[in-house]
Amino acid sequence: MIVLSTKSPTVTLIAVALIALIVGVVIGYMIPKAPTGEVVPKSEYDKVLAENEQLRSKVEELQKKLEALGAKEITIVVWTIGPDPPSEYRYKNFEIAAEVLNKWLTLMGSNVKVKVEGEFFVRPVEWKEYKNKFYMAAKAGKAPDIYLTGHEDIGFLADNNYIIPLDDYIQEYWDVVYYDVIPTLWKAVEYKGHKWAIPQDTEVRPLYFRKDILRQLGWSEEEIEALPKKIQNGEFTLEDLLELAKQAKDAGLVERGLVHRVKEGYDYFQFYLGFGGRLWDPAQGKMVFTKSAWKKTLEWFYRAVYEYEVISPTQFSGDWDKDFHGPFTQGKTLFLSGGSWHKGEWISKGLLTEESFKENVGFALHPAGEAGLKPVTLSHPLIYTITKQAADRGVADVAFMLITLVTDPHLNANHAIASSHLAILYSEILDSRYTQDWFLKDVAYMLDYTTFIPNHPNWGDYSRVVYESIKAVEGGESPEDAYNYMLSEIQKLGDVFIIED
Amino acid sequence: MKMFRFTGKYLWLFLGPTLAIITIFFIIPVFLTLLISFTDMDYAFEWNWIGLENYIRMLEDQWLPKILNNTFFYVFVTLTCFNVGMALVISILTTHINEYVGSAFRAIWLLPRITPSTVYALLWLWASREDAMSLFNWILGFFGMPPINWRLHQPWLLVILVNGFVGVSFGMIIFTAALKSIPNDFLWAAQVDGASTFQVIRHVELPLIKWPILFVLAYQTLSLLTSYEYILLVTDGGPGFFTTEVWALRSYHLAFAQYGGRVYFGYGAALSTILVVIGLIMSILYLKLFRFRELIIEPKIEVQ
Repeated sequence: MIVLSTKSPTVTLIAVALIALIVGVVIGYMIPKAPTGEVVPKSEYDKVLAENEQLRSKVEELQKKLEALGAKEITIVVWTIGPDPPSEYRYKNFEIAAEVLNKWLTLMGSNVKVKVEGEFFVRPVEWKEYKNKFYMAAKAGKAPDIYLTGHEDIGFLADNNYIIPLDDYIQEYWDVVYYDVIPTLWKAVEYKGHKWAIPQDTEVRPLYFRKDILRQLGWSEEEIEALPKKIQNGEFTLEDLLELAKQAKDAGLVERGLVHRVKEGYDYFQFYLGFGGRLWDPAQGKMVFTKSAWKKTLEWFYRAVYEYEVISPTQFSGDWDKDFHGPFTQGKTLFLSGGSWHKGEWISKGLLTEESFKENVGFALHPAGEAGLKPVTLSHPLIYTITKQAADRGVADVAFMLITLVTDPHLNANHAIASSHLAILYSEILDSRYTQDWFLKDVAYMLDYTTFIPNHPNWGDYSRVVYESIKAVEGGESPEDAYNYMLSEIQKLGDVFIIED
Repeated sequence: MKMFRFTGKYLWLFLGPTLAIITIFFIIPVFLTLLISFTDMDYAFEWNWIGLENYIRMLEDQWLPKILNNTFFYVFVTLTCFNVGMALVISILTTHINEYVGSAFRAIWLLPRITPSTVYALLWLWASREDAMSLFNWILGFFGMPPINWRLHQPWLLVILVNGFVGVSFGMIIFTAALKSIPNDFLWAAQVDGASTFQVIRHVELPLIKWPILFVLAYQTLSLLTSYEYILLVTDGGPGFFTTEVWALRSYHLAFAQYGGRVYFGYGAALSTILVVIGLIMSILYLKLFRFRELIIEPKIEVQ
């Protein structure tokens, strides 16, 4: 001690540090190894390890194949669409995935590069132009390798050899990520016993309402907060919706009661489902036309326009901004029949802020048509397909690898959060950003009430006939005439339908 | 002097390029349309021959008579009121006033034509909105009238105005050019003979621009028969069932505009084929009516 005290402070400090280090090493040696099995569940740890190991071996296999092909650079063409701008990660994620893949390839000593090319289409390109472009390109031999579309196209795409079945790939890569896909989504990609695509996202279609208008109508906060629950329990029906919308309109609080989409789409099938209609009979593999439900739906729309005057008679030839987003975000309509992605759109466009949305906008299922029936919503998963031309070019493996990489909890959450779509993977729901998104959390229960549209090649016919009929009813045709038109058009399509009472 | 005539290889040299263009861009498409109309082609682009099935389906379609009626109504009214009628009126009026003022007026009438069609249609949609503050309803309000939903209550008026304002410019340019090329001697001679302005127009100008009128009439009939884009943008064939749906729009709706991705190229082509036939008949009628043959024969006198 005397020795130490006579030395300079620096030497003392070094000596203390050395002793501490030796003591530390001894203690460290004596205590057991890091408790992986206790802090992080061992199974989880092993799972991540196994997944990484699987993926590494897949990339290795891929690398060998790529080198065998002899190309220095392999370009994968990817076509995706919003058409709403916030969904840009449908494409961007591929660029990120290609970057990751290239880093691995470099690390493995390969000099092959994978390049992603393609496009993310937004309005004014609408779905129909996008699909049209795909079919034309495919016929001209210029199809993209990866094609994003709605799941309902699978029947047609598969029947006509535009895309390849992915069962073997999914099997092969199952443990890498696909075990994690929420199982109902697989139903959306199945057709004739095969899986033809990988789910990209899904959504629910809520009925939005303005809380501020309900407040002005004298509703208490408790009553307002209870509305979604009442709808969920079937205590607030489409009839009540008409009454309430009229009340708000008569009180001069709003210009319209309800706005719905202004172009053809699938949203209004929810009203039919709310009246107890069925779309699909899985046992027979046929689409279903429930007569009573369609009659009630058409009558409901007619009354909404001409008796209650809460829907504009020209809503269907209206303008997205002036007749849909605008009236609702400015509080000029009480209800909006929309989709979960609209929340993302309103905020990204600056039509609402997160706070004003929380303060003034509520959301619920689409109500049951009448007492005793169930509330509904509709989901329309988008999917990634691999085209026949990719397979012919010998790049289906690379394309599938890229799809596997974008089907990643983190990357997919980029998309889900930016565009208010729902998770497709269980582990994505646990993504810290996803758990913090209160809206996505709050609409998740709606998936229990959801329906997919049928993957039938004639689905487009059903959609057209329904669109024409509802548009006609809103434009003043009688519900009876519209119903007769609908039925006769459906009958013309023959055996693909089950027509039930 | 006898007119020089091309024969032999020169004939083909001079006619060749035009013939090639006509064949590739006009005759082959018509032929293809005809062929496709005998198939059930969709996005699979398969040539499945189904004979006359599409034409039988057409006969069974209870809405087609209404759509055909709409088409004739639309073409006739737009043509007489605007594409030929208004074009003629504007050309005559603007060539009879101060040249600068006349040109300015004509330039204004070109504006709808040079506006991109979707923007132009959108302007009309906004002007005709149902709310009280839209342009049309604001004007109605001036006269103490309540606002109306134009697209619902006056769809045809809207469709014809939207198309008409665009359609005037073509005829206007042709007629103006024709009127300006009438030698002044004719007009002066008529005036010396004591003809009033109206008589000059009626007996000198109009007969002299008969050929351009035929051309505009025939051309615009065909162009209106096949036009649908403004109707698509403004009413989309509504309100109600096929209220403003015209033949070409029906063809478009079935062949291309399916949200659900289901298309009927075959049936659409059959509808188009009928349109081609109607167009051909109309053209022949016009040529007969205006005695086209007489217009193109060699002059009986020669001016050296």
